[in-house]
Amino acid sequence: MKTIKKRLPHAVVSGVAALLLPLALQAASDDEHKYHQLFEENCASCHGSDHGGYLAPALNAETLKGRSPTALRTIIMAGSFDTLMPPFYGKLSDDNIRGLVSHLQKTPKLDNPAWTIDDIKKSLKVYVKDESTLPAKPAYQIDNIDDIIGVAARGKYGRGEGSRAIFINSKTHQKIGEVPTGTAAHIIEYNPANPRWAYVKTDTAEIFKVDLYSMQAVRSVKTGYNGPGIGVSRDGKYIMAGSFVPHNAVILDADTLEPLKTFELEGIDPDGKQVSSDSGMIIGTPFDDIFAIALENAGQVWVVDLKDGFPVTRITNVGHHLHDAFLTHGGQKLMIASYDDSIVAAIDLKDRKIIKKLEAGCVPHVGGGSAVEVDGRTLGFGTNFGDCDKTVVSVWDLDKMEVVKQIPVSGGTESPAAHANAPYVAVDIISKDRRARTVQLIDKKTLEVVKTLDVGGHAYFPEYSADGKFLYISAGYSGDEVVVYDSVTLQKIATIPMESPAGIFSHGRVRYMTRGLSPDEIKGAK
Amino acid sequence: MKAPIIASLIVVGIASTSAQAASIYAGESRAAAVCSQCHGIRGTSADAPFPQLAGRDADYLESALKQYRDKTRKSDIMNNIAGSLSDQDIDNVAAYYARIKP
Repeated sequence: MKTIKKRLPHAVVSGVAALLLPLALQAASDDEHKYHQLFEENCASCHGSDHGGYLAPALNAETLKGRSPTALRTIIMAGSFDTLMPPFYGKLSDDNIRGLVSHLQKTPKLDNPAWTIDDIKKSLKVYVKDESTLPAKPAYQIDNIDDIIGVAARGKYGRGEGSRAIFINSKTHQKIGEVPTGTAAHIIEYNPANPRWAYVKTDTAEIFKVDLYSMQAVRSVKTGYNGPGIGVSRDGKYIMAGSFVPHNAVILDADTLEPLKTFELEGIDPDGKQVSSDSGMIIGTPFDDIFAIALENAGQVWVVDLKDGFPVTRITNVGHHLHDAFLTHGGQKLMIASYDDSIVAAIDLKDRKIIKKLEAGCVPHVGGGSAVEVDGRTLGFGTNFGDCDKTVVSVWDLDKMEVVKQIPVSGGTESPAAHANAPYVAVDIISKDRRARTVQLIDKKTLEVVKTLDVGGHAYFPEYSADGKFLYISAGYSGDEVVVYDSVTLQKIATIPMESPAGIFSHGRVRYMTRGLSPDEIKGAK
Repeated sequence: MKAPIIASLIVVGIASTSAQAASIYAGESRAAAVCSQCHGIRGTSADAPFPQLAGRDADYLESALKQYRDKTRKSDIMNNIAGSLSDQDIDNVAAYYARIKP
C-alpha cells in the first residue's frame, strides 16, 4: 500500500481556507504512512507485512477489536513473557507506541502485496564479485566439513545486530563463523553437491548464499516478504523458495541466486474450493531431480521436475493444512504433516500419489522429522504441537506404513532429533510454562521417555552433531545460548552464547537425508 | 568503628536467615519470568537499551531494586516491575544474577 504525497508550498496553503480540509487529510495519511513504516521496521517480520500474522499473531482491526489500547501498549513496552515478543521500551517512544496501537486497531488485514520475478531480480545483492578469489579450503581448522553445525540466531528483536547465522565446529564446540543476516535467520540449508555453500533464509524471505570456507555471505536475494520454505536440489544447481506473503514460490539458480521461474500457489483444496495458498515445506531429494512443495491451504503437494519449463505434477487432497515433511526410502517417499487433520500423509514421489494417511497426534509439526533403523525396522518419529489433551510423539513403521506407537510426552513438541549412533530420539517440549525449558529423550529400542533435560530458556530444535556424539539444543527466547550434551551420558558439555538461538542445522544432514538414518541409506538410492 | 559494622552484619544475617537465605534457584525462576525479558540472563541484546545484570554486585542489585520499588529511584517501567517483587524475591534475584558469568 503506497500513499502518494504532494507537498504544497506553505505560503500558498496558509492563505487558502479551502485547502484546510485536504491538509488535514494529508496529515492523516502522513501519519498512516509513518506508522506503516514503523510496523514494517519493527513488527512485520514476525506479525506479517499484510498484518495477517506469521510466527506471531495477526495484528489488524479485526483481530484487535475490543482489545484495550492500554493492555496492547503494555505488551509492546514490556514484551510478552514466554514468547519471542521483545520489549520495545526505550526503542520506540511512548508516543510512537500509542500511535502504533491506534494504527493497528484501525488497519484491516491488507491484500497480499505483490513480489514479482522482477522484484526478486532487483533485490539481488552481490557482496563478493569474483568468487575465484575465495580460499580453496576452510580458513579455519576442521576435520570434516560435516562437523559444522549452523544455528539460526534470531536476535532479540528479530532483526539487528543479534540476527545472524552462527557456525560452530561440533567437535570443539567453538564458533567458527558468524554471518549477519539483518533480520532473524530461520532456516539453513547446505548444498549437497558442493560442501562450501550454505543458504540461510531469514524471516523476511531473504536468502543469503554463504561461503563456509571464508564464513561470509557472497550474495543475497529477497524472494518474498516471509515464509520459511527453502530446498536445494540434489545436484546443488537449484534452490526453490516459497512464501506466505505473497502466495508464490520461485526457483533460483543456486550459484547466482538469479530467479528462473516463479509459481503462483493456488489450487482446489480438499473441500473443493479454489484457494490461494501459503507455501509450506520445500524439499529436494537424493531420489530424483525434483522439488516437492506443499501448498499449505490448498492441501496439495506439487512435484516440480528440474527440466525445461519446470513442469508441475499436482498431488491433490493431501490434507487440510499442510506444513512440514521428511523423506524416507532413499528419498522416494515423503511424509508430510497436515495440521488440521492430525495426520501425516505418506506420498510416493515416483508414482506421485498418496500411499496412506497415518495418525499423527494432534496438530502434527514434524520439524525436520526423524527416522531410525531399529531391529530391522525403519521407524519414523513425528512431533506435534498437541493443542489438545493428547501430547504424544508418533512412531510409524515406514515400510509397512503403520502406526507403531504413540509415546506420551510431557507437552506439545515441535522437532525430533535422532542419529544413527545416538541411543535417544530427542524431542523439544514447547508447552508455554516451565516445561518449555525442557527436552525429553526417547529410547530408540523401548520407545519410552527415559530422561528429561532442563536446558533453560525456551529449549527447542535439538540436533545431533554429524558423528552423533553430541546433542545440540537451543536455549532460545531469553535463554540466549546453545547447550551441548554428550549424546550417551547426557552430561552438559558446553554452552555457546548467542542472541535468541532457534533452528540448528548440522552439515551432516546432506549425508543422511533424514536425521537418524545412516549415510548408507541414501547411497542406496543413487 | 568495627563493632557497629559487625553488629549490623549480624542483624542482617539474623534477619535474612529468619526469613530464608537467598535461594539462587528461586532467583533463577523469578529472573527468567520477570527480568530476563529485557535484561537477558547472561547479557542483553546488542540492540537493547537495557543494562546487563549478570555478574553485578548482589548488594547493588538489591539496593537498586528496593529503590525502584520504593520509587526513590524513578523509572516508569522499573517502578512498576520492582513493585511486583517481595523482599525475598529481590534477595533471590540479586543473588542469582550476581553469580552468573556474563
